[in-house]
Amino acid sequence: MKTKRKTPKLPKGAKINPVLDKYNDVVLFPEKLKMANHILKTVGLPKI
Amino acid sequence: MLGEIYDFELGTGFQEFEFDSIGPKGVIRKVVQYSETNLKDLYNLGFGDKDNKTNKINDLTITNNGDSQKVLATVASTLLVFTEYFPEASVITVGATLARTRLYRIGISNNLDAIEKDFHVYGLKNNKWHKFAKNIPYDAFLVKRKR
Repeated sequence: MKTKRKTPKLPKGAKINPVLDKYNDVVLFPEKLKMANHILKTVGLPKI
Repeated sequence: MLGEIYDFELGTGFQEFEFDSIGPKGVIRKVVQYSETNLKDLYNLGFGDKDNKTNKINDLTITNNGDSQKVLATVASTLLVFTEYFPEASVITVGATLARTRLYRIGISNNLDAIEKDFHVYGLKNNKWHKFAKNIPYDAFLVKRKR
């Protein structure tokens, strides 16, 4: 089930533009994502 | 408090953000995207320029538009908005080049007091995560919102 989220108050000068939703299912930075997944797989997470 | 930032737009899913860098090189569209990684609640921050003519995204160039502090403060502001919407999220970012990674480090260092009010900040060095410290070169960065 999808989590219902509370919309935060946006900072001055920020606005929602549904046109940007065209990227919802597109990974714009695949190489960075690949690098990040590699780090997470090999190093894991910091102890927070 | 973050310094001066650019106005920005975001998608209804709170994962895509865009804004314009304005400087001597002209108006350059910047894109920030938070993508899900293979780990639950862990997102990758991607950041780059959008070519005004082709709409292609490039995360390898250093724009040199004379506004890197304002650009990085704007990216930090998108991080605040993103993690308010996804409070359980941690965010990792890796520079596409050494120059980019250095730029991120400088950006975090310059805004560290403001960032640490809301986030735990870590840097990856020698394949280990460390609490972020200024003037230390890292390979990647990870932030988690404080509760």
